[in-house]
Amino acid sequence: MESSLALGIALLLAPVLPGVILKVKALFAGKTGPPLLIRWYTLIKLLRKGSVYSDSTGFVFRLGPVVGCATALLALLFFPFAGFSPLLSFTGDIIVVLYALGLGRFCTVLAALDTASPFEGMGAAREVFFASLAEIGLFVVLILFHRMGGGLSLAGWFAGPQAISLAGPQGALLLLVIVALFLLLLAENSRVPVDDPATHLELTMIHEVMILDHSGPDLALIEFGAHCRLLFSACLVASLLRPPLAAGPLTNGLVFIGLLVLVYATVGVTESITARLRMHLVPKFILTSFALVFFAIILTMELV
Amino acid sequence: MHLLLLALALILVGGVLPLIVHRWFRLAKLLHLIGVTAGCLTGLVALQAVWRQPETLTTGWSWLGFCPLVLSLDSVTALFLLPVLLVAPVLALYAYHYLDKPAAAWRTAVSALCFSLLVVAMALVTLAGNMVTFAIAWELMSIASWCLVLYDFERAETRRAGTTYFLFTQTGALLILAAFGLVYQATGSLAFDGMAALPAGIKSMVFFLTLAGFGSKAGILPLHIWLPHAHPAAPSHISALLSGVMIKMGIYGIFRIYLLLGDPTPLFPQTILLLGMASGILGVVHALGKHDLKRLLAYSSIENIGIILLGLGLGMLGITVGNRLMAAFGFAGALLHVLNHALFKSLLFLGAGAVLHATGTRQLDQLGGLLRTMPVTGRTFLAGSAAIAGLPPLNGFVSEFLIYYAAFQGLSLGGGNLLLCLFTIVSLALIGGLASACFTKVVGMVFLGEPRTEHARQATEVGPSMRAAMVLLTLACLVIGLWPEPVLRLIFAGLRDMAPLAGITVDALGPIPANLALGARLLLALVLLVALGRRLLYRGKVIGRGPTWGCGYSRPTSRMQYTGASYARSMVEFHRPFVRVRTEAEPLTRIFPAPAVWESRVEDAAEIGLTRGLVEPVLRIAARLHWIQHGRIQLYIAYIVLTIVVLLLTV
Repeated sequence: MESSLALGIALLLAPVLPGVILKVKALFAGKTGPPLLIRWYTLIKLLRKGSVYSDSTGFVFRLGPVVGCATALLALLFFPFAGFSPLLSFTGDIIVVLYALGLGRFCTVLAALDTASPFEGMGAAREVFFASLAEIGLFVVLILFHRMGGGLSLAGWFAGPQAISLAGPQGALLLLVIVALFLLLLAENSRVPVDDPATHLELTMIHEVMILDHSGPDLALIEFGAHCRLLFSACLVASLLRPPLAAGPLTNGLVFIGLLVLVYATVGVTESITARLRMHLVPKFILTSFALVFFAIILTMELV
Repeated sequence: MHLLLLALALILVGGVLPLIVHRWFRLAKLLHLIGVTAGCLTGLVALQAVWRQPETLTTGWSWLGFCPLVLSLDSVTALFLLPVLLVAPVLALYAYHYLDKPAAAWRTAVSALCFSLLVVAMALVTLAGNMVTFAIAWELMSIASWCLVLYDFERAETRRAGTTYFLFTQTGALLILAAFGLVYQATGSLAFDGMAALPAGIKSMVFFLTLAGFGSKAGILPLHIWLPHAHPAAPSHISALLSGVMIKMGIYGIFRIYLLLGDPTPLFPQTILLLGMASGILGVVHALGKHDLKRLLAYSSIENIGIILLGLGLGMLGITVGNRLMAAFGFAGALLHVLNHALFKSLLFLGAGAVLHATGTRQLDQLGGLLRTMPVTGRTFLAGSAAIAGLPPLNGFVSEFLIYYAAFQGLSLGGGNLLLCLFTIVSLALIGGLASACFTKVVGMVFLGEPRTEHARQATEVGPSMRAAMVLLTLACLVIGLWPEPVLRLIFAGLRDMAPLAGITVDALGPIPANLALGARLLLALVLLVALGRRLLYRGKVIGRGPTWGCGYSRPTSRMQYTGASYARSMVEFHRPFVRVRTEAEPLTRIFPAPAVWESRVEDAAEIGLTRGLVEPVLRIAARLHWIQHGRIQLYIAYIVLTIVVLLLTV
């Protein structure tokens, strides 16, 4: 019951929290900014519209948004929000989730290539390159958590009394991991400094250019999927930050939402005070996270 | 056992009959198809006996009075026979419409005979129960496959590929024979059984000699050079047989010798793991850099051999450190990947063959938009691409998951082994990401977007037997992905006869097969659910059509699409010390520029190294010694006599 409720709240919150990023950015720019629920309004608006399809496209173009959204939803099914046991959990579920997200990316990229647009091809090439590097970073995190005794499932890491958290016995190592996961969050979800979701020039985009030709409910599915993926990444960071409170489920849930808001706000701050990296620097940026976690693993070799 | 021999005989009959009736072209092809299918199905029935009861079936004859020929069938053999018997009939089915030139009836019949011979030879390699039998079967396999590569022998490129292949395969065979010679010298018997009792030093020599020999067949880096030349040169169903099934015989050899030696020294798994990482990563990077569809697939086979080696290495490491669970996961993952790769690589080569058949070109950058004109080929190729990239809910994911799991088991080890397991996981993740990139490139350039040339625009779907073959293989990939339990039970029945894992059953995996099935089905269910929701959302909506958004440019042409070369460029350059990107361009100089040329090639560092380091010096020495070769027979005989005399006096 708690699990389904947590998942329901998460799905409701997924399009709300990006509003926090926009609010923070507006604050830095001295503007009022759009309303907090702007992403929900956009989704509803898109769902009411029809679509225009390019003559070049076929069924792969329509498959992309569906698979992208479905895989993002699958990832959330396995996540133990605020330490509640997730709907589903088994040993190795994290590998299934990461590969399912890979399938989502595979289909999104193919949908972009289906349009025959050189810009979308360019974006797709960048997306698969950076994603393959980010994947290494995530798997090193898996290795570290496995060595810290968390097993190989999301619930094993973040639920129960043995949850991996900053307040635990190996918390110092997790500082490195939190930074690394935050860098990966920025890279995987096309945020500044890797990609700029608000840029106006197609040549410089990565993710946004791949979905230029999608419209209406298809675009809504893509956007909702993207919100869910961002929530998944943010939850990874927020779970590590959780304090070891022996409180009731309500307090736990509220604290977790507070931490999520903090993560999203940090994304907003980062976007406000940093400029975008030049394309050839992005691999170095992503591999920094790999190096950080790798260093943490070397430290565990002493501890264990 | 007798049933299995009957099966092999049927396959051979299916090869000989077309020669006799080659004047009736269709009848010849039909008889070949019937013979191979009947033989393979009989063989699969015969394998049932092995799955059911744990015993080794053996038959033997004495040949010429001194050569004992022994065939023995245990569960490991059965496991490697499975891909041979499953894939061969599908390929024969494909060939029915693929080889469609009645003018070349004789050649088609000869190719059918070689196909049957190759299938039988591969079966004999796995069945061989002593060193003589093995060597004969191995040579038969090499020669049959060499003849198949030379199908288009009029083309100079094909002859060159054939020669390269012949050199590699014979050098490899020599190394294997040298290892067998060492064993014979130490034990005085041609049987395999004596290997376990060899002294440690000889064991290592035997292992590394056979590793080099079998590695050159399997396409392990840096002995892979023949593979990207020979596989594309053959007709596509032959490429599928070579790439999907035959190179696994190299893996079988390594695995069998390892089991026979029974030596748990950590050096073996460590070597295998390092070779696996190198083959896996560099294989996929080179695949990314290639623009020739079949050559790209050949490099991708090297990548998959790398993945299989990672699994084998983890399994061996598990035995070395006494972790049975890790060993079981590693071996099971590797052996399942052998089967999986046979299925999806055959599928992809058949798809490439269909594209070649329909358009006449293998160059990615001259294709495009084929999904509209070739719907079955396109959809099956798409499924095969997702499978080879290891994505759920298809079969590639199941085997990669098991290998990951084995590697995670190894993280509790210490020292160098820990680092090896760690890098294995990182390599697998990198290989997975790059394979995704590589196959989005292939599907995107060949099947999506707009046709780049007139050939691509005029393509039509291929014949029904070719389509049926591709659909069958796609279904196999999907079934293993969604119902992994029966296949895993089969794989574990195969591990049963391995001494270090004796008595292991699929229960060792615990709930993992069920969980994998759950994950795959859940994913499929969610996709279907969202697709249903999407359909509801679009009910009664206005659907418009228009051109692709060209960012304001009003006269786009299909030549402006992103090319495979530009798609892969930054990824390939990232791995630069190991791959060479050579770009040749004429700069634009004048105000009204003349037509310009820009060419970019990705070169294989191992191939260049081998040419510079070995071939050129050998040729130089050979040129110096040219005076020995003068064409006078009597002096040649004198050389031989002299050699024998010297040998008799010294040895």
